[in-house]
Amino acid sequence: MTEERTRGGTAGVGAPVVLEMRGVTKTFGPVRANDGVSITLGRGEILGLLGENGAGKSTLMKILYGLYSPDEGEVIVDGERAEIKDPKDAVSRGIGMVHQHFTLIPALTVAENIVLGAEPRKGATLDLARAIRDTEELSERYGLRVNPRTRVADLSVGEQQRVEILKTLYRKARILVLDEPTAVLTPQETEDLFSVLKELVADGLSIILITHKLGELLGISDRITIIRDGKVVETVEAAGTDEGALARLMVGREVLLRVEKTEAKVGEARLSAEGLVVRSGAGAKAVDEIGLEVRGGEILGVAGVDGNGQTELAEALAGTRPAESGVVRLDGEDVTRVGANGRQERGLAYVPEDRGTKGLVQDFSLSENNALKTYDEAPFSKWGWIFPKAMRRRAAEALRAYDVRPPDPDARAGSLSGGNQQKAVLARELSGDPGVIIAAQPTRGVDVGAIEFIHRQLLEQRSQGKAILLISLELEEVRSLSDRIAVIYDGRIVGEVGPDATDEELGLLMAGRTGGEKGA
Amino acid sequence: MSARLRRALVDAGGALVFPLIAIAISFVLGAFIVLATGNNPLTAYSALVRGAVGSPTAIGRTLLGATPLIFTGLAVAVAFRAGLFNIGGEGQLYIGAITAAWLGVTLASLGALSIPLVLLACVVTGFLWGAIPGVLKARFGAHEVITTIMLNYIGINLATYLALKPLRTEGLVPGTDAIDFAARIPFIGLGLGRANYGFLLALLAAVVAYLLLWRTRRGFQIRAVGLSPGAANYAGMGIGINTVLALAIGGAFAAVGGGVEVLGVYGKMTVPFVTNLGFNGIGVALLGRNHPAGVVLGALLFGGLASGAQEMQFSTDVPLQLTNVLLAVILLLVTATKLVELLLGKRARALAGARLEKGLGQ
Repeated sequence: MTEERTRGGTAGVGAPVVLEMRGVTKTFGPVRANDGVSITLGRGEILGLLGENGAGKSTLMKILYGLYSPDEGEVIVDGERAEIKDPKDAVSRGIGMVHQHFTLIPALTVAENIVLGAEPRKGATLDLARAIRDTEELSERYGLRVNPRTRVADLSVGEQQRVEILKTLYRKARILVLDEPTAVLTPQETEDLFSVLKELVADGLSIILITHKLGELLGISDRITIIRDGKVVETVEAAGTDEGALARLMVGREVLLRVEKTEAKVGEARLSAEGLVVRSGAGAKAVDEIGLEVRGGEILGVAGVDGNGQTELAEALAGTRPAESGVVRLDGEDVTRVGANGRQERGLAYVPEDRGTKGLVQDFSLSENNALKTYDEAPFSKWGWIFPKAMRRRAAEALRAYDVRPPDPDARAGSLSGGNQQKAVLARELSGDPGVIIAAQPTRGVDVGAIEFIHRQLLEQRSQGKAILLISLELEEVRSLSDRIAVIYDGRIVGEVGPDATDEELGLLMAGRTGGEKGA
Repeated sequence: MSARLRRALVDAGGALVFPLIAIAISFVLGAFIVLATGNNPLTAYSALVRGAVGSPTAIGRTLLGATPLIFTGLAVAVAFRAGLFNIGGEGQLYIGAITAAWLGVTLASLGALSIPLVLLACVVTGFLWGAIPGVLKARFGAHEVITTIMLNYIGINLATYLALKPLRTEGLVPGTDAIDFAARIPFIGLGLGRANYGFLLALLAAVVAYLLLWRTRRGFQIRAVGLSPGAANYAGMGIGINTVLALAIGGAFAAVGGGVEVLGVYGKMTVPFVTNLGFNGIGVALLGRNHPAGVVLGALLFGGLASGAQEMQFSTDVPLQLTNVLLAVILLLVTATKLVELLLGKRARALAGARLEKGLGQ
C-alpha cells in the first residue's frame, strides 16, 4: 500500500481550486495561532481539517469567515484575491459557516430562521409564503428533511443542524465550513449528515470539515490537512492513510488510541441511586426515575446524546443540585440530604463536564483551585484563617504528579490549555484518594495527549478498586473504558449493554428506541 | 520566592498603568479647559498640587477628605469581590453616622473608651443594614443595584428624621447634640490641621478588608462566588450566604465611615449632613480596581483633588468644579478601556494586560 502524500496543500486537488488560503499568519500576543498556513479546496471536494484543540483550526476558519483579520497571508476565492473583513463579505463570496453552537432563534419557525437577515419581501413586509416555498425547495433538493413551518424550539438537535446548513445554502454558499458537526449527533444522525454532505459535493459545493474524530474524517473526506501548533504538518489523501498515522501527525508522536484494560475485579456497590428525579434549571424533569449502581473496581459508562439529563444526573449524584425525589447512597449510606461538601468528605470525587465554569475558578491561581474544596480543612485552614503557603506547597506536588503544564501554583487557571486545565481538575479530585469518582465528559475539548493521560488515570483508579461513573458523549470513550454501558435518553436509562455492543445497538438506544419498540 | 515577589510587583505595576494613563489624559484635557477660562494651566495645576500636598495643612486636608472615601470605597470593593454592585454606600454611611451621633452622646461619659464601642455599634448597624439587599437578592432574586439604590433613600431619610425629631438638639441649628470632645476621635496634630486618627482607622480597615478577602475561609468563598458562581456551587459553597455576607460586610465598612465622620470631623449629625461620600466611594473602588490598596490610593487622589481645588480657586479664577471634570474623565477612561485602546493603541492595553478585565469585567 503506497501512501500518497502531498506537501503544503498545493497539489493533489484534481478539480479546479475554489478556495486557497496562502501563508496565513495570525498572532495573539505572544501566541502564533496560525503560522504561515496554506490550504486549498477543490470544487466538489470535502477537505478535513484535523488538529488538536488549540492547534489553530478554528482561528483559520474564523479568518476565512471574516471574524479575525490575518496579520499576513491572503485568501483567494475562485482565483480572485478576496478581502474578507466581516462575515457579510464572506457570505457574499459564497462562504457559509455552520458553527458548533447553533445560532438559531428558537421562537421562530424554520423558514423564518432561514431567511432571517435576507428576507424575501413583498412591498415592505416579509413574503412568508415565498420563504416557505424557498425552504421547501432547498430542503428537497439536498435531502435536508425539515418542515419549514415548525418552530425551531420543537426540533431535535440534528434537525437544527440541518436548518443551519439550509441557512447557508439559502445565502447561496458554495463553500461550506462545518465546525465539529458530529459532536451533538447520534451515530445514525451522523450517517444522515454525511449522506447530505455527499449530496452537496455532488452538486458542486465544496466543504471544509473540522473535527477531531479521526474515524469519521477517514470515511467522508477526500483529503485531510493536519494542523499542529499553528502550522500545516501535512495534507494527505484520505484513501491512503489510517487512524494511527493521522493521530501521529496530529500529536507529533506515537499515540495509543485504545487503552489496555485489565479484567475488572468488581466489589461492593459504592455509589447507587434509586428512583432519582431531578429538575433542570428551567424546571423540566431532566432526570426521570433513574436507578443505577456502580461497584468498586468497575467503570459504569453512561452514553447518550447531549442534553438528555446527563448534567443533572451527575450534579444530583455529586450533591451540587438537589434531587426532587429518590435516594442517593454512598457506600451504603443515604446521602440524599447531604450537600456537595459532605459527599466530598465521604470520598466522592466529581470531575464536572464544564471545567470552564464549574471545575475551576478561571481567575483563581492553580493553588487556590487545587484547594477549592479543601480550603476549610487542615493544613490549609485553622480557626477561619487560610494559609496560602500550605495551599501552594500541596498544589505544587499535585500539579507535578499529574503533569500539569506549567506546574506553577501561582499561574492563573484560565491561562492553561484545556488539557492542562482538566489535568489540574483531575489532580485535585484524585489526589484525595476518593472511593467513588464521577467523571462527566472528562476529555471534552482536551487534546489527544491529555486524553490518553486521563484515560490511564481513570483505569488506574479502577484497578485500585474505586467505583467510577463515566458520563460521556464520545461513544468511543465510553466503549473503550467502561465495563458496563447504560444509555440515557430523555432522563431515563433506556438500556444497559456491554462494551462490545455495536454502534447500531447503541445508536438506537441513544435515539430512545428500546428493544421492545424496535419492531413496531 | 523572589520570582513571586517580582510577579507581585509586575502585577501591581500593571494595575497602576491604566489609572496613571487616565490621570495624565485627564490633566491634558483639563489644561484646555483652564485655557478656555483664560487662565494659565501651569499656574492652575501648581496651585492644585500645592493645595493637595504643598504643606502640612494641605496634606491634612487631603487625608481628611480621603478618610470616609476609603471606607465607602471598601464597601463597594468587598461586595464587588462577590460579584455584587453595592450602590448603597451613601445610605449605609448615614446609618453609621446617626448611630454614632446618638451613641456618641449617650456614651460620652466613658470618654475615649466610648470611641471603640460606638464604632463597633456602627459595624453592627451597617452590617444589618447592608444585609437587607443581600437577603432580598439571595432569597427573592431582587437585583442588588436596584435595592441598594432604593435603600439609600430610606437610609438617608431615616437618619435625617432621627436627627430632626427624636434626637434633635435644643437650639437653632438642626441636628443632634454635639458629642463631648473627650469622646471624639482626636486630631493627629503635627501641623496636619483638622486631620484626625480616623485616617489611620481607615488604613486599618483596608488591611482588615485585605486579610478578610485573601486570608480567611470566608474571603476565599466570597472571591470564588464572585469570580465563578458555578465553580463555587460545585465546590459546595453557598452562593446565598456569601451574597448576604459580602453586602453586609460592605455595609459595615461604609457605616464605620459615617461613624468616623461624626466622631472625628463634625461631632454630631447636622441636617443637611455631608453628601456624596457614598457615591464617590464607587468611583474610588473603580479607580482602585476593587483592591484595598487601590482603594486607599484612589481615595487619596479624590481627597487630594478636592483639597487642591480650594487652593486653585483661591489663587486663580479656575472654578472648583474643574476637579470634578478631571475625576469624571479619569473614571470614564478607567472604565472605558476600549476608549483608551483607541486613543493610545493596543500597546497601552497590552501593558495593563488582562488585569483590566479582572478588575472591572463580568
